[in-house]
Amino acid sequence: MQMERRDFMKLAAMTAATGLAGSMASRGSTALASTQPPLPDRPDIPGVTWEKAPCRFCGTGCHVQVGVQDDKVVAIAGDRQADVNKGLLCVKGYHVGMILYGQDRLTKPMARRDGELVEIEWDEAIDIAAKRIMQSGDKFGFYISGQSTVPEGYAAQKLMKGGLSNNHIEANARLCMASAVTGFLSTYGVDEPASCYDDLDHCDTLILWGNNPAEMHPILFSRVMDRQARGEKITVIDIGSRHTRTTERADHFLPMQPHGDLAIANCIAQQLIEQDAYDHDFVEKHCNFRADRDPSAKFDAPIDHDTYVAYVKEEGASGLFGQAISFEQYKKLVSYYTPEKTEELSGVPASQLRMLASTFADKSKKIVSLWCMGMNQHTAGTAINNLVHNVHLMSGHWGKPGDGPQSLTGQPAACGTVREVGTLAHALPGGRIVKKEAHREHAEGFWNVPKGRINPKPGYHTVKMFEMLCTPTDQGGDIDTIWVQVTNPGQTLPNTKKLFKAKAKLKDKFLIVSEIYPTATTALADLVLPAAMWVEKNGIYGNSERRTQQWFKMVTPPGEARDDCWQTLAVARRLYELGHPGLKDKDGEYLFRINDDAGNEVPYWEWEHYYDINVDKALFDEYRQFTFLKHKNVAPYDELVKHRGMRWPVIETKDGQFKETRWRFVEGADIYVEKGSGIQFYHSVTKDNKAQMWFRPHQWPAEMPDDTLSLNLVTGRVLEHWHSGTMTMRVPQLRRAMPSAYVEMNPEDARDRGISNGDIVRVTTRRGELKLPAWINGRAKPLRGQVFVPFFDENAPINDLTLDAIDPFSKQPDYKKCAVEVSRLDQPHAYSPEDDK
Amino acid sequence: MLSRRELLFGRLRAGVSRAVPSTPPPPPPDDSPKVAVIQGRHCLAYRELMCSTCYERCPEEGAIVIERGIPQVVADLCTGCSDCHDVCPAPTNAILMLAPRPTINRGKP
Ligand code: SF4
Repeated sequence: MQMERRDFMKLAAMTAATGLAGSMASRGSTALASTQPPLPDRPDIPGVTWEKAPCRFCGTGCHVQVGVQDDKVVAIAGDRQADVNKGLLCVKGYHVGMILYGQDRLTKPMARRDGELVEIEWDEAIDIAAKRIMQSGDKFGFYISGQSTVPEGYAAQKLMKGGLSNNHIEANARLCMASAVTGFLSTYGVDEPASCYDDLDHCDTLILWGNNPAEMHPILFSRVMDRQARGEKITVIDIGSRHTRTTERADHFLPMQPHGDLAIANCIAQQLIEQDAYDHDFVEKHCNFRADRDPSAKFDAPIDHDTYVAYVKEEGASGLFGQAISFEQYKKLVSYYTPEKTEELSGVPASQLRMLASTFADKSKKIVSLWCMGMNQHTAGTAINNLVHNVHLMSGHWGKPGDGPQSLTGQPAACGTVREVGTLAHALPGGRIVKKEAHREHAEGFWNVPKGRINPKPGYHTVKMFEMLCTPTDQGGDIDTIWVQVTNPGQTLPNTKKLFKAKAKLKDKFLIVSEIYPTATTALADLVLPAAMWVEKNGIYGNSERRTQQWFKMVTPPGEARDDCWQTLAVARRLYELGHPGLKDKDGEYLFRINDDAGNEVPYWEWEHYYDINVDKALFDEYRQFTFLKHKNVAPYDELVKHRGMRWPVIETKDGQFKETRWRFVEGADIYVEKGSGIQFYHSVTKDNKAQMWFRPHQWPAEMPDDTLSLNLVTGRVLEHWHSGTMTMRVPQLRRAMPSAYVEMNPEDARDRGISNGDIVRVTTRRGELKLPAWINGRAKPLRGQVFVPFFDENAPINDLTLDAIDPFSKQPDYKKCAVEVSRLDQPHAYSPEDDK
Repeated sequence: MLSRRELLFGRLRAGVSRAVPSTPPPPPPDDSPKVAVIQGRHCLAYRELMCSTCYERCPEEGAIVIERGIPQVVADLCTGCSDCHDVCPAPTNAILMLAPRPTINRGKP
């Protein structure tokens, strides 16, 4: 095919090579005639080679085809063979190749000398990092990411827990998924969704719990909208505090006040019981009841709601797994949440609550619930996760295609790297925890380290780790060094002035940052390590539906930028050379020894030799052994090479094939379910194959609007940008489409304050203030009393203003609730810190 | 107060531009009258991909409307400013700036 020069120029500018012909419908299920012509194959362009990779951005986990020419990514196309996206991409995905080519890529290691970052050589950089880590001992913390690859996470995990006996390893997924994890653990006894995206092709009702997939998981939402466009009837019910692009496509909008979700989910249960419309058979066979405390220890008969709340307040909660309660007790507690009471607590009219309950009562419906940050970034995040599982379990809308709860992740490897490899302060790979002796012994066995090497005491969770970094040493701040990889805490931690920026004044604290571009985090770094990104390195991600996705390095990173995984392993090697005893296994061998086929050790810690072997494959296949215990079997590396991701547990069949699992705990779909049991929660907390239905009372947010700060601040992402904008703000198309942050207001709240669209206004919380343009009746409209500010814009660091209150179980902060006031610049300040004195 | 046009064009960011575009800027507009035309085959919204940038950023109230997610130009209200063309983030720009069709029978003087 002869290409016109004009076409080639287009390609070189990396517009999507295949255009947009086609839609999900044309290549989705074949139930209905396709309305669009099929996608053309990826273009056959002389000199351009194509390879698969998962998209670098969100937890949806689309696959792209990456076109490479002359060691440069020159084109991106949606991958037609990918089940997740069937050839389509969202606006970010089409431009993903451009993230490599911003003009200010970091290309040389830098160390801070007299306040300035000066370029140094890699050898010195590795030396500085290793010596600092050696000296810090248990004052060192490693902070990685839900965008780190699985091997990166595994290497960091093994170095920290298996080498340094140090459990201060965390990942930014703590800020994003921790409450989903504690929700799954306390309900099913094991983490991660049982369902998968196929449900979106089968459901007839979609319920969105504080979720805006039109912007945050566009390809998943389009999968449903596309079915609608073909004439299928899918009822969309949106429960939220903001009228969004998603709401525009919904049949019902339930206007919810913050934390109303807790009452709403309880109200559904109350209605199902009152109308005797719950699934008796399902509940009897598959469910137990649970709460923070079992009142029968003190009371003879079931107690009412308020007595219970007072009782738990006095006694304290009994940990994440709580205590068993009787159905009678559950029924009595939940009876408090009548539609009228719930209307009072949530703001949602009782009639809509009845409609929602009757939807769940209808056995013929196929209901998918979706949620993400609305429920996870919540000071009662574990609770609301439990409650949404409840309503599905109780109504029997569970475990059938198109019928079940589906928790979405924000990041592409929050599941693959953080939840599965366990790169959190309390966890070990494969669903294990450091507290359990047997689990430590497994890990010590796989790593061949002496018994007792792994520290049984969990390390600091993210908020605590950064709080300790920012607390002076003589005041007990016992973290003095943090190494950050693949994330930008300087912009994304809550209350960043307290949890990050305060570090600037503490001269004895040290920050190591592996990064691709200058960020708010590198601004305070003492050592900056330039990193390779995405297809400049080998990698493995794992998306929201348990799908593990592999890709190969395709282009050379710029300058001296190097793989994050290599950086970790090079520092590990230097620690070994410095004589750190933890870097030897119990036979005196190097902890991270990798042999070639002939059995000779490969010196991959030298950059020139890093790609002599496939380090990713070596690490991943070692990690794989960890995944069988909790039936999270990932496929072998070589198998992943052949697929556009595989959903675990991946089962090896008799003829040596590997088969993925779509629905866990469901007979016929999940091989681990015993014949005849239908549904079996085989990791049950109560060891009787049952899930736990929780009673969790409504509670108010940690900081409520008051007379001075009379609104509630919600933060979040936008369609065009990825998190702190480090990558997407360098893509001209995305930056032009969404160039800067704004404060979104309800028109009446704006009018009350004399604010018009476009006015620059002052946004004030107890932690600080920011000037932003007001956007009224724009992309979304918050309910009265709510304002929204996106967090992508480094010039409008909204997290300086957010609150660092956390969920008691998951330790995840709530970025969606704090008191705020918005005022015109010519009006007096709503609040000054003096007011608190 | 910022105009609707200025609102989201980052006036606040003056002097803090770091990410430098690596594609050439759109050609300078000529003076002849133009009207925006959305090419459905290139438009993300036509594929249920949830894009609404042109509609949000159009400085003329009502010149672009959205129905069930699909943007449409109301030619009579379009001033031909080309803002929508400049911000369209589709992989192939979906907006053409064309000479308006002869204004016959528009009921205007
Ligand atoms: S950002 Fe998410 S939805 Fe968009 S293409 Fe990438 S993975 Fe798919």
